[in-house]
Amino acid sequence: MATLRDIKRKIGSINSTQTITRTMKMVSASKLRRAQEDLEKVRGYALKIEELTGRVIQNMPDDAHPLLAAREDVKKVLIFAIASDRGLCGAFNLNIGQHAEDFVRENGHFYERTGIYTFGRKVNDYLQRRKYDIVKSFVDVKKIDKEIVDVIAGHLIQFYTSGEFDKIYLTYTCFRSPIKQEIVFEEFLPISRADSGEEPIDYICEPERSKIAESLIPKYVSTKIYYALVESQTCEQAARMTAMENATNNCGEMVKYLTLVYNKRRQEGITNEMMDIVGGAEALRGT
Amino acid sequence: MLDLEIITPEKILVKEQVDMVEAKGAYGEFGVLPGHTQFLTTIEIGEIRYMKGGTTNYLATSGGYAEVLDDRVTILLDDAELAEEIDVEKAKREMEEAEKALKALAFDENQYKLMEMALFKAIMKIEVASKRHL
Repeated sequence: MATLRDIKRKIGSINSTQTITRTMKMVSASKLRRAQEDLEKVRGYALKIEELTGRVIQNMPDDAHPLLAAREDVKKVLIFAIASDRGLCGAFNLNIGQHAEDFVRENGHFYERTGIYTFGRKVNDYLQRRKYDIVKSFVDVKKIDKEIVDVIAGHLIQFYTSGEFDKIYLTYTCFRSPIKQEIVFEEFLPISRADSGEEPIDYICEPERSKIAESLIPKYVSTKIYYALVESQTCEQAARMTAMENATNNCGEMVKYLTLVYNKRRQEGITNEMMDIVGGAEALRGT
Repeated sequence: MLDLEIITPEKILVKEQVDMVEAKGAYGEFGVLPGHTQFLTTIEIGEIRYMKGGTTNYLATSGGYAEVLDDRVTILLDDAELAEEIDVEKAKREMEEAEKALKALAFDENQYKLMEMALFKAIMKIEVASKRHL
């Protein structure tokens, strides 16, 4: 049974935990603000590039570019899972890990190989512990910049064009609002051409359409990756903020409860002591 | 009137109605006026101009794509700066660095082409900056 002093110590420890979680919440809140600004900047560009690419490659033949050619026999698939290096952000990393896991469990038997390319230490550890086929991983990323994106884009394009994988999926967390994030799981390569039913636009192209597509497609791939990474980063901060807010609240409740127990226990002690004194006095008077 | 949008990964630089847009495409300079046909081109390192109510605004860019569709001009650029926002001192430093690097490099090295581009970009920036409105 916990003594009075134990309870007091516990209250102290929870109070300092609360200070830490509160600080972490503040830090993530300001990081979130910055990340959100970055996201806003890149979002406009990324969406426009996607639209433009969509229009340019619409009803281009399959052999126009290696990344457009869908393979009939899909044997090997790759999942590119984006999460983060650090924890203490609720279920953020776990969600991505489980999403990839579910996919492999449900569809794995259709394919010869389902590889996973991880971004972020936590999701990498999670999947590695469960012995999934991790093809490559990116951990300890300080800052998302063009170089990292180009390296990743290079890997993914290489994986697809070399025939090592026949299809590449992308999964990441998409930022809707600070309290709402959604997990996206989508086909990434080959680039699908949405059949919108509209007449393809008959552009005058300078240089030829195929030349433009040749440079635009890699650009689309890296922009998409960059966008996904920034989205994921924003979500991480939002998730951490929520998690830390909850932790702070829980600490508060715990302290309240323990203080109540402490006071009760103290009162009990005093009452007992008084009973002893009274009992002793009674006994003395009897003699 | 044309709806002009100039977007870089950093920010939306321009989003307004203008009278005319001029830029340097793969096959040389082109201009867009209202009623232009559907057009798609790459944008080369150089200058982009747009005219609005008699004033001309200038931008320096390192390249990208432009699309003209129903009087909407969308220009997606890797990197661009409005003439008013160019840091001339920085551009000059970049130019000097690029020149120095070029002298040290052999003509056939991969780096050579990159540095040449960097030099060209810096020169373009300085040139565009000189056209800013004071």
